[in-house]
Amino acid sequence: MADTYKEYLAANVIADGKPVTYRVLSRALKVNVNIAKQMLYDFHQKQNAKKTNTVHATYILTGKKRAPEKANGIHTHDGEDSFMHSSPYMNSMPEPEEPTEEPPTHTSIVLVREEELEKTKSEFESITSMHIYSLEPGPLENLNLLSICNQDILKDCAGEEPLDRWKTYGSIHNPYIKRRTAKFAPAPAPGASKTAPKAASKPPVTAAAKEEQAKPASRRGSMSEDNSSRQPTPQPSSSSGTLKKSGSKPNLKRDTSDIFKSFAKAKAKPKEAAKSKESTPAPIPDERMQGMSEDEGDDDEGPQIKFDAEKQAAARKLRAEKEEALRKMMEDDDDEDMPDAPPAEEKESQDSPIDEVPSAAPAETASVTVQGGRRRGRRQVTKKKTVKDEEGYLVTKEEVVWESFSEDEPETKRPKQLPAKSTAKGKKGGKQSQGNIANFFKKS
Amino acid sequence: MTSPDGNLLQGAPFQDSPYLPSRNASSYNPLHTFDLPKGTEKHYGQQYADMYFLRLAQLKEAIKRQAEEAWKDFELAGEKATMVDRVLDVRQGDLCWIIGTVYMEMALKPNVLDDIAKEHWIAAPPVRQTYMSSSGQDEMMLEDESGRLRITGESLNSHYVTGCVLAALGTEQADGCFQVIATQYADLPRQPQRWERDDSALAVLGKKNKPVTPKRGSAGKLAIVSGLEITGTDDDDLALDLLVQFLTGELGAHPEQSRSGKITRLIIAGNSLSSSSPILSREDFVNSKRDKGGKQQFGYHTSSYNASPAERLDALLTDILPSLPITLIPGASDPANVALPQQALHPALFPQSRQYANPPVKSNESREGLDSVTNPWEGDIDGWRLLGTGGQTVDDLLKYVDEVEEMDVLEMMLRWRSIAPTAPDTLWCYPFQDDDPLILRDCPHIYFAGNQSKFERRVIQGPADQKVLLLSIPKFRETKTLVVVDMETLEVETVEIGVVQPPTPE
Repeated sequence: MADTYKEYLAANVIADGKPVTYRVLSRALKVNVNIAKQMLYDFHQKQNAKKTNTVHATYILTGKKRAPEKANGIHTHDGEDSFMHSSPYMNSMPEPEEPTEEPPTHTSIVLVREEELEKTKSEFESITSMHIYSLEPGPLENLNLLSICNQDILKDCAGEEPLDRWKTYGSIHNPYIKRRTAKFAPAPAPGASKTAPKAASKPPVTAAAKEEQAKPASRRGSMSEDNSSRQPTPQPSSSSGTLKKSGSKPNLKRDTSDIFKSFAKAKAKPKEAAKSKESTPAPIPDERMQGMSEDEGDDDEGPQIKFDAEKQAAARKLRAEKEEALRKMMEDDDDEDMPDAPPAEEKESQDSPIDEVPSAAPAETASVTVQGGRRRGRRQVTKKKTVKDEEGYLVTKEEVVWESFSEDEPETKRPKQLPAKSTAKGKKGGKQSQGNIANFFKKS
Repeated sequence: MTSPDGNLLQGAPFQDSPYLPSRNASSYNPLHTFDLPKGTEKHYGQQYADMYFLRLAQLKEAIKRQAEEAWKDFELAGEKATMVDRVLDVRQGDLCWIIGTVYMEMALKPNVLDDIAKEHWIAAPPVRQTYMSSSGQDEMMLEDESGRLRITGESLNSHYVTGCVLAALGTEQADGCFQVIATQYADLPRQPQRWERDDSALAVLGKKNKPVTPKRGSAGKLAIVSGLEITGTDDDDLALDLLVQFLTGELGAHPEQSRSGKITRLIIAGNSLSSSSPILSREDFVNSKRDKGGKQQFGYHTSSYNASPAERLDALLTDILPSLPITLIPGASDPANVALPQQALHPALFPQSRQYANPPVKSNESREGLDSVTNPWEGDIDGWRLLGTGGQTVDDLLKYVDEVEEMDVLEMMLRWRSIAPTAPDTLWCYPFQDDDPLILRDCPHIYFAGNQSKFERRVIQGPADQKVLLLSIPKFRETKTLVVVDMETLEVETVEIGVVQPPTPE
């Protein structure tokens, strides 16, 4: 793996303009994190020796901060403050009225850009360690962008056995941790679901903003081999990245619409038209996205990392879209629940209260006489009889009774009708309440 | 300036990093004191009066002992102080002492009767920052089974809150007020020895087999963090990432890595998610109504649920868990029940990380991995008894008093032997019937409260040489600080994770 790191970093940092953290590098090359940190430093030195300021770095400083002039508190940064001085938190010291107690050891770990490195260093009383956290082609305007790298790691390392991570990457091994293998295996990475769509959507809204901003370098052609083999870093807004992801995105949507349709078929048919109308608009943004990304890919200027800001905006947008879509889906569902019960049944269910219609099943027929085309006789039937007892409860009984009949139809038709009626009845019993409610809402 | 092995600013040839020892086991023996009965066994129909009754009955003996010791020789103008059993039996002018539960009548305290009477309010009252009225009209009463007695006195100011049980020495004045000269509380209960529970468990085992002598290496360190307040947006990601990298030992060079390698357990003390309730708060509801252009949605709607904070938390836990076991305590903003004791966060929230937890059937066994526990939570780690809360108890108590530090609150709670004295008055609480676990039985060695404004620590001592380390754990989101306790020496250190953001261009 002698010089693979150089190629990798050249491809990702210089060519693609992506920030690469030591973690990303170690995952990509399967090396110990500490070696990855040294690789970053090596690359940083050599590149900047060739041509200054081609690569920027952020550093991690660890050590003890010097106590500020006011001797009772340790100067701290809270991360949100953009400036170094006078952070309001004095979070780490016991109250001054307890001078007997030694202040607890307070270690600071600070992530800092190379621009502010010296200044930050001067605030430390002692520095125990120091290393490069990430490399990027230009100064970052917002360090939060670096977190995107880690989300990609989550996604890319989803397949790996987490308990073996320490062997490769050198995180601390804990021999006591055990992992259940779940019977139900959840989706490989939660990060995946979050990040993939995030990068995927280059929503049309940001188009204007994007045109203004300089595009990051995306000379895809020569570098794509390195990239396609492994992609642990965030996708820049280059054409191939967008294409690839937007390619997967419509799939998702299509899937959902398929589900919609299959539901629709199972349910009321007339709704289907309306529903497919609902689902078709969804893919359109994706269509547009592709078109856009193509002309994006062309302009490549000097390396800047603006794209990450876009990416964030895009992510935010997407999140909103997702919520919107979800909401729509839910609302649709509400409507569609109604026509569940077929209209025919509804009609039937309106009349005929249950307790008055005893379902009669013919059991046996005795003494049938045929007279002049009419058949007469007596037969034994079981009837359901519902009566109100003395306490006011409805009691349903099955009784076997003899009844006389006279009909002009042939005997054979008779049993056919009766079962048919009774099954309809059975169904009705099950769905009745639902049908009624649906009907009620529909008509009102 | 930089120590040699801490400097990774060196190019090729790359040096292999020095050997990092594996983590030690964290000896972990949780108690299930605050587990509520499951399912249909759990009833909410009981009266809260029982809790006050129980509290008084259980603490009376201890307080009586304290008071007798303190006041047995107390004389005022030749008159000896005597104990009066019931507060209503106090005679005017007699010097005596009584035991009862404090009740604070405060102008701004939420009152259930008000809520019912003023059902027609258009807007509900805002959440109180404090219950104290500015005009000082607040009254204090001492109550037992027989009745209530109004008490006054200098020694009471800002020291007691509703629900704590105390003994008060004084006389009844002409106006019926009981003038208090001095007070006594139960003070710290018995503190178990280190390893006491584990040893007794071993002793039981030893009877059957041959005696086992425990082999215990030196204990590691315990990291406590609270108030991650994950929002699922990108702004808070970087600090959380750095936290994960620090805990797993990837961040920094060898000195840091070997230090974080000594950490054997992480406790997350409440408020892991910033706002989890699917039902909008009043303000959010108004906002959302405005955003949607007047379209109203009441109550909970599945579509408005945003899963990304929970997913992010799950991812965070999954990242840490292969290297470090975690005890997860819920807090006020977490998706657990609101009433204390909050029950463990449901495993359904953690589709990934629950693979490191016990299967549900064995969830009462301790295990290296993820342990989702109750708030408050009690347990033994490395032999020490720990008691920790998500911080609601402290926050609520602070509303009763003025100019009192969080540390004082933690101390007083232990000395009153009441983990949540203000429950059920102003803090929601399960109506315990036969036994109230919120009364402190065993004095912990370490007592911590999450989600406080700043990091503080204090060591207090009890009458029987109990030593308790009190810790207030700051919110990580605000202070980016992690508290690390050495479980051998009980020394505390803090680690702060900062990001120096570039100056914003003017």
